[in-house]
Amino acid sequence: MKTESFVFALVGVFGLVMGPIYGIATDWQEPVGPVGLLLAAGLGFMVAFYFWLTGKRIGYRPDDNLDGNIDEAAGEYGDFTPHSWWPLWLGLTSSIVFLGLAVGWWVFAIGAFFGVFALVGWVFERYKGQHAM
Amino acid sequence: MVSVGTIVWLSSELMFFAGLFAMYFTIRQVRPDLWSEHTPTLNVPFATANTIVLVISSVWCQLGVYKAEHGQAARTGSLLNVSGWGMREWYVLTYIFGSLFIAGQVYEYAQLVHDGITLSSDGYGSVFYLTTGFHGMHVTGGLIAFLLIIGRTFTTRHYSHAQATGAVVTSYYWHFVDVVWIALFATIYLLK
Repeated sequence: MKTESFVFALVGVFGLVMGPIYGIATDWQEPVGPVGLLLAAGLGFMVAFYFWLTGKRIGYRPDDNLDGNIDEAAGEYGDFTPHSWWPLWLGLTSSIVFLGLAVGWWVFAIGAFFGVFALVGWVFERYKGQHAM
Repeated sequence: MVSVGTIVWLSSELMFFAGLFAMYFTIRQVRPDLWSEHTPTLNVPFATANTIVLVISSVWCQLGVYKAEHGQAARTGSLLNVSGWGMREWYVLTYIFGSLFIAGQVYEYAQLVHDGITLSSDGYGSVFYLTTGFHGMHVTGGLIAFLLIIGRTFTTRHYSHAQATGAVVTSYYWHFVDVVWIALFATIYLLK
């Protein structure tokens, strides 16, 4: 995952260099730029570091080889839920919750009530019954 | 792959808090008088104690992760035998410390409102409650996540790899929220 790590490190270096330049150019009178750029550097380095760490853990991948073939990457990729209706309910109840912030707390309470079912339903979807993960 | 996704999402969370920090510094730049007027009312020793509670909760969380990585969900001995604790016990302890932090924040809010600083009182009140409040909501979200993660450990006879992954990424989130709080604490209470 060296390439991925490098790309995000570039984002980090850009923020780290541009943050102070922005600050000096505005005489440190405009805080949004330096804060945003330096924390964007944090974003880049955080992801770059974790990609580097993951790369070290999982080792060589065909993606890292310029002469690699597509079929080399065949195989198991992990566990993924084939489909789920719970995110839809969670999204709908979240909309009601946020609508509640604008309309009134009673709308918020209704959304939160159904939201509990949606959240628990989604989190435990594959963790119940005989085939629980 | 779940952990990579979590880190990428947390990096975007960093930008969310970047917006809050930018807002805080901008308002302070424009109205320094509000800061000299209101910052003496902050209870710094209390907030320091609260911060220590949150940092310690991160330590308990990491001990729980250690147990999760070794596939131990439940305790082996009695509740008093701390070395035999499993991931559940450590996460429950983390939960208790996290809720102590939130309780402390509620107490602090009550004190500040009593002193006349509210969300709509002036610029200082707005940025204070927006920054600490959004952080508090993140902590509360983390507490809910802990409940769900602890609940998941009861669904199978043996602690599974998927359950351990969930526990580990929840700890990533918890540590992230903890680090953000240290930055917020330094900005609001120490730098003033």
